[in-house]
Amino acid sequence: MSHAQVDVCIIGSGAGGAPLALELGRAGFKVVVLEKGRHYQAKDFVHDEILNSRRNFFMPLPWEEPHLVRHGAKARYERSNVAWTANCVGGGTVHMSGFFYRLKPVDFRLRSTLGAVPGTTVADWPISYEELAPFYDKAEAEMGVSGQAVPHPFAEPRSGPYPLPPLDVHPVANEIDKACSALGWHATPTARGILSKPYKGRASCAYCALCGSYGCETGAKSGTNASLIPAALATGNVELRPGSMARSVEVDRQGRAKSVVYLDADGVAQEQPAKIIIVSATAVESARLLLNSTSSRFPQGLANGSGLVGKNLLFSSFGGSRAIFRTSKQKDARPWLTDPAPFVNRSVQDFYLMPDARHGFRKGGTLGFMWSHPNPIFAAVGLAGSGKTGVFGKELKDRMRAYRDSRILEFEVYAEFLPTPGTSVTVEPGVKDKYGIPVAAITLDRHPADYAATRFLVERGEEVLLRLDPDHVERVGTQGETTILQHGTCRFGDDAATSVLDKHCRAHEVPNLYVVDGSFMPSGGSVPSTLTIAANSFRVADHLVRTLKG
Amino acid sequence: MARARSLPPRLSRRTFIQRLTFFGGGVVLLGGAACKRSKEPEAAKKPTEPTGATASGQPLRTFSAFEYAVVAAATERLLPRDEDPGAQDADVALYIDRILETQGLEAMHRDFLQGLAALERRAQSMFKKSFAQAEPAQQDELLAIFKDSPAGSGEAHFFELLMTLSLEGFLGDPSYGGNKGRVGWRLMGFDTVGTIAMAPPEGYDGPKCLRECGAHK
Repeated sequence: MSHAQVDVCIIGSGAGGAPLALELGRAGFKVVVLEKGRHYQAKDFVHDEILNSRRNFFMPLPWEEPHLVRHGAKARYERSNVAWTANCVGGGTVHMSGFFYRLKPVDFRLRSTLGAVPGTTVADWPISYEELAPFYDKAEAEMGVSGQAVPHPFAEPRSGPYPLPPLDVHPVANEIDKACSALGWHATPTARGILSKPYKGRASCAYCALCGSYGCETGAKSGTNASLIPAALATGNVELRPGSMARSVEVDRQGRAKSVVYLDADGVAQEQPAKIIIVSATAVESARLLLNSTSSRFPQGLANGSGLVGKNLLFSSFGGSRAIFRTSKQKDARPWLTDPAPFVNRSVQDFYLMPDARHGFRKGGTLGFMWSHPNPIFAAVGLAGSGKTGVFGKELKDRMRAYRDSRILEFEVYAEFLPTPGTSVTVEPGVKDKYGIPVAAITLDRHPADYAATRFLVERGEEVLLRLDPDHVERVGTQGETTILQHGTCRFGDDAATSVLDKHCRAHEVPNLYVVDGSFMPSGGSVPSTLTIAANSFRVADHLVRTLKG
Repeated sequence: MARARSLPPRLSRRTFIQRLTFFGGGVVLLGGAACKRSKEPEAAKKPTEPTGATASGQPLRTFSAFEYAVVAAATERLLPRDEDPGAQDADVALYIDRILETQGLEAMHRDFLQGLAALERRAQSMFKKSFAQAEPAQQDELLAIFKDSPAGSGEAHFFELLMTLSLEGFLGDPSYGGNKGRVGWRLMGFDTVGTIAMAPPEGYDGPKCLRECGAHK
C-alpha cells in the first residue's frame, strides 16, 4: 500500500540517518525513518555472548542475508556477514565501542598535501576541516562524548573542551603514558561516545566492561538509539518504522526521487512517497539500494549515470598486537594488573603522517590501546585455533588456564585504506537475500602502501608494549581490514564526472536524493569514522533545513 | 552461484575472526560450509515428542540417545575433565542438543547430524565399535583426523562445528543448558578479573531471547 507523502523519508537510523531525523524534526518537517531492524530497548541488552555476539541479534545470518566477498576480481565470492553493521534502530552505533575520534585537517586534502599515488584514486574532499568542525562540536554535544584534548603534533583544532570529562581509566594508562614519553611520543586520552557523567537525562557509564559487540543497558553509550533517536521522536514530527527493509527508491518521469518501496515486518510491500529521500544504510548497503533501484531513466541504478556508485569502497586498514601479562608472576611487582577497570583509552597519533616517504605514501594512522575483549567464547575459539595448528583436549584446557592467569593488553591500528579501482561494491542479481533482493558483492583489491603503513604502525605499537615488559607479545596481524568502518561508494565532489554526490551529499543526477552515511567520504581517514559520519549528517541537515525553509 | 569451497589463505577463519576485533569479541557465526543450503529450505520442524533421553532422563530435542552418547564422548575429548571440570560436567552435549533446534540454524542442524554420522561410521570402520565405546586414545586419533582434514571438507567443517558449539556450551550463559554451575566461566576466569557485573541477571532466559530477538521482525 502507499502511504501519504511526507517531507522527508530517511532510510536508516544510525550515525548517518539519526542526526538528519532529529534536525529535520526539530525544524518542523514531517519525517519517516525506515529502519530494517528491530527497535531494541535497554532491557533487551543483556550480557549474553551467544545472543549478542554469535547469532543474529545484531548481524544477519550469512545464509539469509549474505554479503559476497572476494579478494581480487579473479577470486570466487564467499558468502559471509562481513561488512554488515548492526541491523536495528541505531545501526552500528548500538554495538560500537564508541571510539569518537575526529579526522585531521590533512584528511580533507590528502591528495594535494601528499600527492597522487599510482594505483589509487585518492582525491581531496570538496570541504575543509574548518567547514566540518562546527558540526563535530554539534555531534559531540548532541550525542555525548567524554574526552580530554591534549596537545600533540597531529592534534586537530577544537573550539573548546569535550562536553564531558574523560572516563576513569585503568592504571595501565599511566604505564603507557610513561612508555610513550620515553619514546618521545604522545599517549593521548581516547575520546569515547560514552557518558562519564549523567547527561541530557541519560545515566553515566557503569563500567561493566562490555561495550563493543553489546548494546548498553544503561544508555550511557552514545548510540543514536540512546541519544538522537529519542530526541527526534520527541519532536513529534518523526515517525520511526522498524522492520522496514527498503527494496528500491522509485523515480518519477522527471527523474526525481518519488518514493521508497519497502517490505514491512510481515513482508508486505509498502510505498512511502516523500519530497526528499535520504539513503543512510551504510556505504555498502546504500550503494546496493541505489544499484538495485533501476528504471528506464537510470538503467544502471539510481544516480548512477556516471557508473560510479559502488566504486571507491573504503574500509579501515587493520593491524594489531597484544601483550600478555601472567598475573600470578607479575601481580606482586605490578599490583595494578588486577585492577578491574575496563578502560585504557589511550591513543598514539604521532605517526598520523609518516616521518618520510619510505613506503611510497606518507599517510600513517592511529594506534588505540585497550584491554582485550572479555567475551570468553570468542577468546576460547581463538585459543583452540583451527586446522592443523588447532588444538583440543588437555592442550586446549592448559591454554584456557593460562588465559585465566593473564591480562591481555592490545592495540589496534586504524590506518588509511587507499581507494583503488579494484575495490568496490556491485550487486549480484543471481544471489538474493531472504527478501528476494539481490545482495551486495564486495571485491577487495588492497594497495600495497596500506600494508606497509599498517605494518609500520604495528611495529611502533609493539615498541610501546615491549616497554611495559610483558611476558609475551603476540602479533595479531598487519593485513586486515575493519569492515564495520565503511566509506566511499558514493563519493562527494564538485565534479559530476568524478563523484556521485555534491558537497551537500545530494546526488548530482537526482536533485532530491541524498546519501548520508559513510558513502560520501573520498578517503576514510585513519581513525574510526562514526563521529565523522554523524558530524557530516548534522552538516547536511543544516544545509537542508536552510534550503527547505527558503 | 559463486561460492568458494574453502576460504582463500588471506581470508582464513583466524584472520576472519581477528579482523573483527574492532567491536571486540564479535565473531562471524559459523562461516564457510555452514552456508550450504538445499534449494528447498526445510520447514522448521517443531518437535512435540522428545527425540530421546539422556542417561539421567533429560529429554532430548535433536539427538537420539545413541547420538547423544557420541556427542557427549566427543565433546569430553575436546574438553576433558582433569583437575578442572570438563565438557560432561558442564553439560556441553545438552547445550548442543538444545541450540541445534534454534530457528534459522536448520542448515547447521543438518550439517551437524551428517558429520556426526560420518564420525560414527569412521569409528566403526577403524575400531569396529561405536565412537562412544572406543578408547579415549582412539577417540582422540579420530577427532584429530577430522580436525586436520583439508579446509572445506565435510570432516573439517564438522570438527569446526563441534569445537565451536562445545565452546559455546562450555562458556555460554547457563540458561542455554550448558556451562552448568558456571564451571566454564570459572576455568576461563570470566568470574574474576575485570569482569564485574558481567553475567546476565538471575532468571535470564537466553534461548527465549534468541527465539524472539533473532527473528528480526
